[in-house]
Amino acid sequence: MNQVLTILLIGVIALVGNWIGYHVPPTESLPGILLLALITLIGMGFTRILPFKSPVIVWISLFAMIATSPFFPGNAFTAAAIGKINLLALATPILAYAGLSLGKDIHLFKQLSWRIVVVSLVVFTGTFLFATLFAEAIFKIQGKF
Amino acid sequence: MTEERVNVFKLHFIVLILVALTELIGTKKINIGIGVIALFPMLYALILGGFISWPKFKWLKEKEMNAAANILGLSFFLFICKLGANIGPELPKLMGSGVSLLFQEVGHIVGTIALGLPIALLIGLKREAIGATYSLDREPNLAIIVDKFGANSPEARGALGVYICGTLFGAIYMSILASLLGSSGIFHPISLAMGAAVGSGSMMAAATGSLAVIFPDAAKDIAFYSGAANLMMSIIGTYVCIFVSLPLTQRLYKWLEPIIGRKSKNIQEGGQHSA
Repeated sequence: MNQVLTILLIGVIALVGNWIGYHVPPTESLPGILLLALITLIGMGFTRILPFKSPVIVWISLFAMIATSPFFPGNAFTAAAIGKINLLALATPILAYAGLSLGKDIHLFKQLSWRIVVVSLVVFTGTFLFATLFAEAIFKIQGKF
Repeated sequence: MTEERVNVFKLHFIVLILVALTELIGTKKINIGIGVIALFPMLYALILGGFISWPKFKWLKEKEMNAAANILGLSFFLFICKLGANIGPELPKLMGSGVSLLFQEVGHIVGTIALGLPIALLIGLKREAIGATYSLDREPNLAIIVDKFGANSPEARGALGVYICGTLFGAIYMSILASLLGSSGIFHPISLAMGAAVGSGSMMAAATGSLAVIFPDAAKDIAFYSGAANLMMSIIGTYVCIFVSLPLTQRLYKWLEPIIGRKSKNIQEGGQHSA
């Protein structure tokens, strides 16, 4: 129940962000936000009733894909409603909560050596850069770009 | 759940204010010579939020910060849902990029290990290097390491170190990196979008955000391909970590450590705490 309320509250916050940042009036965003919240909650519930452990985001992604795919009833309405919600309006609350949680790790950070900080930056760079390189190479080989 | 006594509404309210304020400021692009850096609402929100949670001010209790971290996970679900909804209408397009999607996953593994491990060894890390460089070290990866080596092992210490750095400045760093790589003109926005799906919610949001600002015309494609890459990673990521990247890192460590590892035995390796 707690999580349902939290999802809805985050939805309201995204609604406000979508309004202020991307000038979509709340009345126009509301159906999209409600659909996003609904699919998310279905995905969370589904993961819980499954007999085996699996990542929630797989099911949420999958259900969102199915609900908006051309063969699902009402897909045009669902896709159009969710299309009104700007992706970045959903990302801002994520990083705001991330910001509010930063303080708890600062004392741990002070105990780390500079070495691990350097290695972290290299690891972040490596994963992004190489995945980009590999994707680019395959697209080039396939002649897509 | 030990967070019963935390007033989560206080957190939601602060986030609401942060979102309203930062969206009002809007997006700014700054040219720093070597490229364009995109500054946008989520980054201001991250920094302002970090300021509010700075322990010295005592505005937030540790419990509240933990609650915020939990809510962060839920807020990422909505983001993921939106990415999925972007893919649905164009499912056939996804089939055409299957090979690239698989290979970018390989790139994510190769990148952390091939770049990370040698540098970690060169600057003197020992077994910490295995935990630190076998993956991006988010929560599931930490669990894998602790499960295999124990919470007090050097491997777990290395993984935890990268985890903490990722939490603290991963998002900011990713957004700068995405800005620089994006404005360098070397890569296609679609390749960058796939690269941005690094397996961490806040880092991915920041990287895709930067790309969307740098390539406004490709914003839809960026959401599409980063969403697809992220889905791919969330389906096979854990298995790849357990069966491929961790054994591979261990083997490379055994081979490389005697060659480029530092000789000195008593290097201070960060925190003595455990996970």
